[in-house]
Amino acid sequence: MTTINREVTPQDPQDLHSDLHEVWGNPRGLKAFTIVNHTTLGLRFMVTGMAFFLIGGILAMLIRTQIATPDQNFMTPEIYSQVTTMHGTVMMFLFAIPILEGLAIYMIPKMIGARDLVCPRLTALGYWCYLFGGIILCFSMVIEMAPDSGWFMYTPLSSSEYSPGLGSDFWLLGITFVEISALSAGVELVVSILRTRTQGMALHKMPIFAWYILAMALMIVVGFPPLILGSILLELERAVGMPFFDIAGGGDPLLWQHLFWLFGHPEVYIIFLPAAGIVSTLIPVFAGRPLVGYGWVVFAITVMGFISFGLWVHHMFTVGIPQLAQAFFSAASMLVAIPTAIQVFVWLATLWLGKPKMKLPMLWIVGFLVIFVCGGLTGVMLALVPFNWQVHDTHFVVAHMHYVLVGGMLFPLMAGIYYWLPLFSGRMPSETIGKWGFWLVFGGFNATFLIMHWTGLLGMPRRVYTYDTGFGWDIFNLLSSVGSFVMSAGFAMVIIDIALHFRYGKPAKHNPWNADTLEWANSMPPSAYNFVSLPVVETRHPLWDNPDLPRTMREGQHGLPTISHGRREMWGTDPLTGKLREIIHLPGNSWWPLFAALALAVVCISLLLRWYPVAGIGVVIAVGFILRWSWENGAHPKAAPDAHVKAGDPPLHSRTMDGPGLWAMTTAMIANGSFFLSYLFGWFYLWTVSPEWRMPDESPLSLIGLCVAGVAAILGWGLLEKAVRGLREKNDKGLAFNLYGAAMLGAVQFGLVLWVLLNANLAVTETTHDAIIMVGLAYALLHSGLGAVMALLQGMRVGYRFVGAHAPFEPLVVTYFWRYSVLVFWMLIVALDILPRVIGS
Amino acid sequence: MKAMTQRLHLTHPGHFVGGLTLWSIWFVAVYGGLSVACAVATPDAGQGAFTPINASLLLVSLFTVVLIAALAWACFKEAKRHQARRHFNAKVSAWLYLFSALAVVFVAAPMVGLPPCL
Repeated sequence: MTTINREVTPQDPQDLHSDLHEVWGNPRGLKAFTIVNHTTLGLRFMVTGMAFFLIGGILAMLIRTQIATPDQNFMTPEIYSQVTTMHGTVMMFLFAIPILEGLAIYMIPKMIGARDLVCPRLTALGYWCYLFGGIILCFSMVIEMAPDSGWFMYTPLSSSEYSPGLGSDFWLLGITFVEISALSAGVELVVSILRTRTQGMALHKMPIFAWYILAMALMIVVGFPPLILGSILLELERAVGMPFFDIAGGGDPLLWQHLFWLFGHPEVYIIFLPAAGIVSTLIPVFAGRPLVGYGWVVFAITVMGFISFGLWVHHMFTVGIPQLAQAFFSAASMLVAIPTAIQVFVWLATLWLGKPKMKLPMLWIVGFLVIFVCGGLTGVMLALVPFNWQVHDTHFVVAHMHYVLVGGMLFPLMAGIYYWLPLFSGRMPSETIGKWGFWLVFGGFNATFLIMHWTGLLGMPRRVYTYDTGFGWDIFNLLSSVGSFVMSAGFAMVIIDIALHFRYGKPAKHNPWNADTLEWANSMPPSAYNFVSLPVVETRHPLWDNPDLPRTMREGQHGLPTISHGRREMWGTDPLTGKLREIIHLPGNSWWPLFAALALAVVCISLLLRWYPVAGIGVVIAVGFILRWSWENGAHPKAAPDAHVKAGDPPLHSRTMDGPGLWAMTTAMIANGSFFLSYLFGWFYLWTVSPEWRMPDESPLSLIGLCVAGVAAILGWGLLEKAVRGLREKNDKGLAFNLYGAAMLGAVQFGLVLWVLLNANLAVTETTHDAIIMVGLAYALLHSGLGAVMALLQGMRVGYRFVGAHAPFEPLVVTYFWRYSVLVFWMLIVALDILPRVIGS
Repeated sequence: MKAMTQRLHLTHPGHFVGGLTLWSIWFVAVYGGLSVACAVATPDAGQGAFTPINASLLLVSLFTVVLIAALAWACFKEAKRHQARRHFNAKVSAWLYLFSALAVVFVAAPMVGLPPCL
């Protein structure tokens, strides 16, 4: 590892900008669909998220209008159920998570001194999947077929018996489509933060916001797969009749609740953590001093990231689980108050010891502190089992949830938007309109939801479309509704302020808030490449410690100012120390992400319409696009055919054995592992708990067939390891043979698993046991097939000289995939075939 | 002991997640174990908390607390020996281990008084 910090003669910033812009600049017109740059895509995420926020907001107003007074018939019960379900769904899945991901996608490279995220085409795929999934989901409202079983889609209400239309299918398929976006953002944010920080930025020196986003991204990677599995199972039940959640077939509706809340509770923290990251970033800037207790905040983030996965059953206290188990989850729910409180005290201490300036962003931060602390306190109340039983499914829970989510996410987000607005546009917002907006939102919010606690305590259940007069709820509901319209007026003012500032806002001076972090070293608005040259940063406050840094960066006095090679380059650094390891070269603009997302949209729509052959063709086309996209990597002419670097610079990552792709594969396999463990959880849960579970006396699977398939997989993996060992020694003799051999063995494994599946005569629509086995074997088929194709493509790339001793990276990535596949295949054999033989039913 | 501490690389930030990972494994084990035990061998309700299930869960919890607390102590010691990055990593890890140990104690406390399967 080396450190490069040359003393370079200043160059003309305009010349440097022109050179860099030629390689990094965004195309216009139709080609704008090919853009993969994080700045543009981050903005697209945020703007699209705001559009969905408006839709969700309108739905909220419809709800409040309907229940403003008793015995209203403004909406039918059916439409009301659709509106409440879509309000929750849009706000959680299409607004809260994507807009925060968008902010992270926009901000993280700028804060850590990088030029882009590490997988730019993945960013683009994520955006298109989000957009298309969101449109498909919202289209259901236009045709009055929106989901109506609540945003958590509890079975059996969401099953085909009680929700026979397409509503639930829209939800299950649309949300799964959108979750591709969340997972792709999660993977690349993790890798970008760990591997692309600028030189010298050791883990304990990185901006606190990056810690929050790292935790959020890892939580997405682990937390979303259970819901993806649940959605797949429920859609299979609805479309094909596999009885996963049907008691009669051996399933259990509670399995859905477990899978949903395994995702759903961490999701609250996935939303909260980046918002808290905004707070921890802004408070030191406006207090004019470093954050008190940086280490304690890292501690709190880590605790939250873990404990939040141990709380999911507190959403299920009324379903009838043993008291002792309830006590476990009640205690864990209370524990999460500790890291939250640590952060609140850190923020207060920073304000106390600094000299806070009450600018517009700070107003929203103060609003956050007030509302979020209240929401946190009612959260502790809800963690107590007896109280939880009393207010379960009442407006009290709705009020608590909004205090936590609006207070904990929306207020910090608004603070962040106002804070970074000058960076987005180069202009300042209007303090006057902004303050009006804040006070209307703050007052309206509390009028709506503080009062909703009382209607809840008076017994008003959630999601009822009307109520009789005389329960004592009338006046409170009316006041809540008035408050909600005041809040809407506040948001309208904020939107007007933001819209007007692009044209009439005062031009912002450089670093207008006197911030400490690197994003303010960008031009305003930023260029596509972020920084002309990449500095060495060994402090948490680079712009406070070296105010001249933006100028020297613009003049090319730091790393990688040369662009004559035509590659998009940035540093790859050690995840712990920040020492330089390699130059990461990034792909340019590409149609493949858009094409792949379009093909996936066709799959989604075809599945909705039950056009299964079309869906199958769509899958093949999507896989084809993605494989073609993977082809344009490494030493490919469209990537980096020439490995030449400046004397003294480290090598290109594709010429090493440890590029970011390896980290991306590892992170993706963590997500995959979470999916697989959720599957195993489902299998063992139903086996143990389901009242009608039926396991045959003899396993329907051929143990010999599965074991031979497993041995083939091990042999294929062995060939890949051999190939990688050779590459580490710069020896590519027999490389193609080993790769083709692995591909062939992968194909043998695929064929054998298929044979076992076809010979098992599974009654997948009659028993849950057989249906779950079917899903497990399909999972194994997918992995063996994909492993074979990946090894085959690598063999072909050897022939084209895209892979070899000169470019040894890619076979290692494929080997990582195989390691995972072999491990989970043998786990499947043990779980599905060997254990039932040993233990019996 | 010293050799073992060295092998654990207690100044590596991987230990940030060490204690909480152990806590998570323990949590899944006691919740899953309780569910399975109640499904296959429900004790008589009259026994209250004095059942083999509670005893087993407490034993597992005790072992987990001791393990995590030992790691916390080792991290605190290691933090004193280093400066800057390594000190930061070991110290944050130590507090995280300590929190995890206390979290086991707090969540396991009801095992002392509540019957397992009611």
